[in-house]
Amino acid sequence: MARYIARRLLWTVVLMFAVSVVTFVIFYVLPSADPAALRAGRHASPQQIEEIRHKYHLDKSLLDQLSFYFKGILLHGDFGISYVNDQPVAKLVFSRLPATISVAVGAAVLWLLSGVAIGIISAVRRHSKLDRTTMSLALVGISAPVYWLGLVALYLFADDIGLIPLFGGSGSYQPITEDPLAWLNSMILPWVVLAVAFAAFYSRLLRGTLIEVMGEDYIRTARAKGLPERTVVMHHGVRAAITPIVTAFGLDLGALLGGAVLVEIVFNIPGIGRLAYDAILHSDLFLIQGTVLLAAFFVIGANLVVDVVYAYLDPRVRYE
Amino acid sequence: MRRLKGVVTAGLLTALAVTATACGGGSAGTAGQNMVAATQDLSGKQGGTLTMLASGDVDYIDAGAAYYQFSYMVHYATQRSLYSWAPDTTKIPTPDLATGQPTITNGGKTVTVTIRDDIKFSPPVNRIATTADVKYAIERAFKPNVANGYVGAYMGNLVGATEFTDGKASGISGIETPNATTIIFKLTKATTNSLIGALALPVSAPVPAEYAKKFDAVNPSTYGQHQVATGPYMVKNDAQGNAIGYEATRGIDLVRNPNWVAATDYRKAYLDEVKIKEGNSDVTVASNQIVSGQSSINGDFGPPPAVLQKLYTTKSTQLIGAPSGGIRYISLNTTVKPLDNINVRKAVIAVSDRVAMLKARGGAVVGKVANHFLVPGVPGFEQAGGYKGTGADFMATPGGNPALAASYMKKAGYPSGKYTGSETLQIVGTSGGTAQKIAEITQAQFAKLGIKTKLILVTQDAMYTQFCNVPKKAVAICPNVGWLKDFNDAQTILDPTFNGNNIVPENNSNWPVLNVPSINKSMAAAALITDPTAAAESWAQIDQAITAQAPAIPWVWDNTENIASSNVKGVVNKFNSSWDISFISIK
Repeated sequence: MARYIARRLLWTVVLMFAVSVVTFVIFYVLPSADPAALRAGRHASPQQIEEIRHKYHLDKSLLDQLSFYFKGILLHGDFGISYVNDQPVAKLVFSRLPATISVAVGAAVLWLLSGVAIGIISAVRRHSKLDRTTMSLALVGISAPVYWLGLVALYLFADDIGLIPLFGGSGSYQPITEDPLAWLNSMILPWVVLAVAFAAFYSRLLRGTLIEVMGEDYIRTARAKGLPERTVVMHHGVRAAITPIVTAFGLDLGALLGGAVLVEIVFNIPGIGRLAYDAILHSDLFLIQGTVLLAAFFVIGANLVVDVVYAYLDPRVRYE
Repeated sequence: MRRLKGVVTAGLLTALAVTATACGGGSAGTAGQNMVAATQDLSGKQGGTLTMLASGDVDYIDAGAAYYQFSYMVHYATQRSLYSWAPDTTKIPTPDLATGQPTITNGGKTVTVTIRDDIKFSPPVNRIATTADVKYAIERAFKPNVANGYVGAYMGNLVGATEFTDGKASGISGIETPNATTIIFKLTKATTNSLIGALALPVSAPVPAEYAKKFDAVNPSTYGQHQVATGPYMVKNDAQGNAIGYEATRGIDLVRNPNWVAATDYRKAYLDEVKIKEGNSDVTVASNQIVSGQSSINGDFGPPPAVLQKLYTTKSTQLIGAPSGGIRYISLNTTVKPLDNINVRKAVIAVSDRVAMLKARGGAVVGKVANHFLVPGVPGFEQAGGYKGTGADFMATPGGNPALAASYMKKAGYPSGKYTGSETLQIVGTSGGTAQKIAEITQAQFAKLGIKTKLILVTQDAMYTQFCNVPKKAVAICPNVGWLKDFNDAQTILDPTFNGNNIVPENNSNWPVLNVPSINKSMAAAALITDPTAAAESWAQIDQAITAQAPAIPWVWDNTENIASSNVKGVVNKFNSSWDISFISIK
């Protein structure tokens, strides 16, 4: 297992390098703004732009720029400067991480608990009114775009513009270290909005696999042995049916930690997603790179965790 | 041109604008508009915290680099430049750090300014600002580490400026400081108007060299994150001067400058604190938060049509409009076939439905249909024809005149009145929102004349820096360009945009690539006229000459729409056409 993890970690570095190269290439191949001209300002002379271009190695070939970029990271831990914000990328990215973790982890807990619970109940009480109702709602949840759901939530429940003012609205985010109660109040709507779509998907997924598992021979055997139904379902059924959920959860959480773009924009949460959005809007190359690398890191890391958890959940799986 | 902050993004409000007549706090309505009053009530109640909601960030928190309407809202409240603009002044700037108007001698080549001896820097510097600090502030702006966007254009004629920027001199010899309160600017040419105009921009706010040099040595300079203030407010900082109140794209916290003395300033500074909250990408939500909330104003965005409608009909006291001093137009590249034919350009303008463009932007409430290039309020605008226009027949019908367009096409050598050539013209526009709609409307106007076009949509930054600002790309039509005055001087609007001598290989702002020697010569002469009346007359004639060349389709003279919560007593700074933080108060 240790060898497997070490090999995967090595692959992580290779993958992140590949992601970075692809981002660089996309930036230069697609029509994007000239970073030097942006940095120089409207009245700057071509000479001033050239100076800036030289200073940031933008006058070099794509290969040389990549080389400078990776040397900066590897030798100095320098991820470059944001042209737009005039600040080190690493500082900007890490300052945004707590907000994104707040959104992603809180929502993940919510959707996992609710999605799994609904999925189990629906599978166990198949074709009941409860099953039909929850699955219909799940379909709505999956279909509703997050940004739309976010706006509806704001106009219904935000304490500034909502019809029933209950929770913090757009821009109400406070770091947990400054005011835990205000943080909690500002997080409820984003968590719920984000969790709705995911919970709906998870409940449908779990319901399907659990129904299939509950028809297996070993479930019949467990029942024949006289085990209580709760034990049969939870210990034998759910454990086998949960593996697709683990896969999806790892990937979803990893992706969200890389930036919950829509929710962060709708609720004006200063996280990685909003930072990436702003960086793309302003063609801020190094900041785009920084946010992409972070997202890649989380997705790849989550994949690794998923694979390890798999081995625990399913003894047939061995990584050697 | 400083950057113009966003205004209404989409929708139609024409009918509403015709019927609405209400006027609000500190404002007086004109026909269908809640425009700012000629004289505003500047009284207010002391104390309170104001929240300003913004979509994006300031361009630079460093006043020496800032070049954006939204940034100026912050810098005019935190910095005392030599001159600035009191809320109701638009013609002559108000002495701020200076004790009076500048003295002009030597045929306009020498400008002397005397400054106050009682203005202290905020902590941790805590000393009196001197003329040496003003000199340092201007010099640092010439350096690439600060990258100021306008000093080269307006102060480039200072004696020794070239040597300084080339690294051959340690300072600009044309800025002399014989004592702590006198500063003398020496010019190689009598470009006095430009220099004085620039002295009323944030770049002339003093910067203490002994404190700032270590930050300026870094590229880019980090002084902005450690900036000290001379105005009534400062970015909240710690004992070392670190601007803990500024987080890029998150917000700015302005608190009182403990070293500011009210008796030395024309500013009122009623508020105790201003919290600028950025990242409000959904301007509808943000506008609703302001309108239905308390103690809030808008920063860098304008309310969308739905909110404007609500304000006009039910809460008109919460809205004040002000002419932005800006113009938007569709540039026609005079070097690209068939637009190199003046009659084709005239035909395109004649057929264009500029009313439809204005409607796409939000209707009459967001501005007036433009018909020449100088903007309202700038000396020379009235002399050039004012709102009636210069008399050019192809500009006379805002909704379009197909018959006239056909006649111009015939003059251009197309007997049918329609284009018969094979060229496909490239249009490069900004994707999304109103800009895209304008680009699509533009494409439709060309189709009316049978001219084939290909529309490419990119981000606004890419549109400028990779396409429209690069003459060798030969983009035929740029539908989303515009210009905003830097100060009340016609030169700041017409010279960078239509002077053939200003065509540069990149970062070019002469989008039509207009190069008419007689116009270039007239501009060079007008720039040296120091008499304001004569200068206005001269620039008016230049405006008429440019308009006659049909280099672009001017379609709107913008307004800026300022909104506030019901408990805010708003005051607009007419120069910046935005809220004036130093005069706003909580009711």
